[in-house]
Amino acid sequence: MDYRFSWGPIWDNIDLILYGLGTTIGLSALALVLAVGIGTAVGTAGASRSRSLRALSATYVESMRNVPLLIHMYFWYMALAVVQFPAFTCAVLGLAMYSGAYVAEVVRSGIRSVPNGQMAAALASGLTGLQARLFVVYPQAVKIIAPSFASLCSQLIKDSSLASVIAVAELTYQAGSIEGHTFRTFEVYITISLLYLALVTFVSQTVLFVFGERRRADTRGLADA
Amino acid sequence: MPEVILQNMGFLLAGLRLTLELAIVTALGGTLLGVVAGTLRYLRVPGLSQLSTLYIEFFRGTPLLVVLLITYFAFPALLSYRTTAYQAAMLGFVIFIGAYLAEDIRSGLMSVRRGLIQAGFASGLTRVQVFRFIIFPQAIRRVIPTLFNQYVRLFKFTSVASVIGVHEFTGSALLVNARVFEPLTIILTIAIVYLVICYGISLVGRMLYSHFAVRT
Repeated sequence: MDYRFSWGPIWDNIDLILYGLGTTIGLSALALVLAVGIGTAVGTAGASRSRSLRALSATYVESMRNVPLLIHMYFWYMALAVVQFPAFTCAVLGLAMYSGAYVAEVVRSGIRSVPNGQMAAALASGLTGLQARLFVVYPQAVKIIAPSFASLCSQLIKDSSLASVIAVAELTYQAGSIEGHTFRTFEVYITISLLYLALVTFVSQTVLFVFGERRRADTRGLADA
Repeated sequence: MPEVILQNMGFLLAGLRLTLELAIVTALGGTLLGVVAGTLRYLRVPGLSQLSTLYIEFFRGTPLLVVLLITYFAFPALLSYRTTAYQAAMLGFVIFIGAYLAEDIRSGLMSVRRGLIQAGFASGLTRVQVFRFIIFPQAIRRVIPTLFNQYVRLFKFTSVASVIGVHEFTGSALLVNARVFEPLTIILTIAIVYLVICYGISLVGRMLYSHFAVRT
């Protein structure tokens, strides 16, 4: 091992790295919001009683998640070249459609794990179907799916690195360009790995903290009252 | 079938062959690495256990593309050896998927009930025998669905090897596209091929699971 470490060039390009990190965060956040929207709709359809809705939901999930994310990105960027979406938009759309399928599966399993009686009781007490979902079923489902949702979030952030392939200037892309003009290969890639690791850990812990089960304070039954 | 695809069929099939080769070899290598790292962590072997924890946490937190860039550019620079894109992709996929498989296998090992382990010791088996005949077989059967999810992920992820210049399925499709420029046809075609294969892998996983399921 005669490799001489030199971290100076990394420090000199800290602005590029921070810019890339910002783009990664923005890209992931936008895609996550869209994916949660898609996933909630598709997942609710997948847990519904209507057979055609369930089939529709399953078709979306299987056809989206069985195609590599890279192909999703190329689809928006290259296959729809006539439309000329900006690269950033393509990355957001590709990431959202792909991750939406995973969110849908998690949402579906979350809804199905809430006992039927909850929905029935909500309807019986005069809530509309939408109200019953919003105020009774979803809040309980969210707690159950918090761990899987946290890992989906970290998956999405890591997946966003593929946007570099369609020339979105996020963290991985910036690392490539820094590597290209400083030749500090090892230092650059280790730095961004650790940045991804930190970001992913922070986000998944935050999700668990905000949505996860907390001491079951709000599920106390009559006996504790 | 569209004409572009028919005309370049041989080239695309060669790419698909490389993709399958890459996926199968790295699935085997990754599973081996996963079993070793997961078991070391489960058994809390001093030193080695911490090492596998470090390995698992680091590579589970790093995007696949970055892992490939590390195995293609950073490792050879650091340790001064030469590598081809294909070898680097192999190494990267094994390291990457191994970290996920290790966690799945560990959770499978942990799901084996204590009572069974104690019963094994009580009937005179040694530690190695308890692991070999009681814990491991049940753990593996229980994690078959998760393992196959990871294999599907791995198969999809092989497309990323095209980024470091491996002419597997995606890479060869991109080359064909560069020549004839019919992106919509080409991308939809390879998307369908990936879809069929990935769906097939998950069906095999489901069949194996219902065949080997631990009945309780």
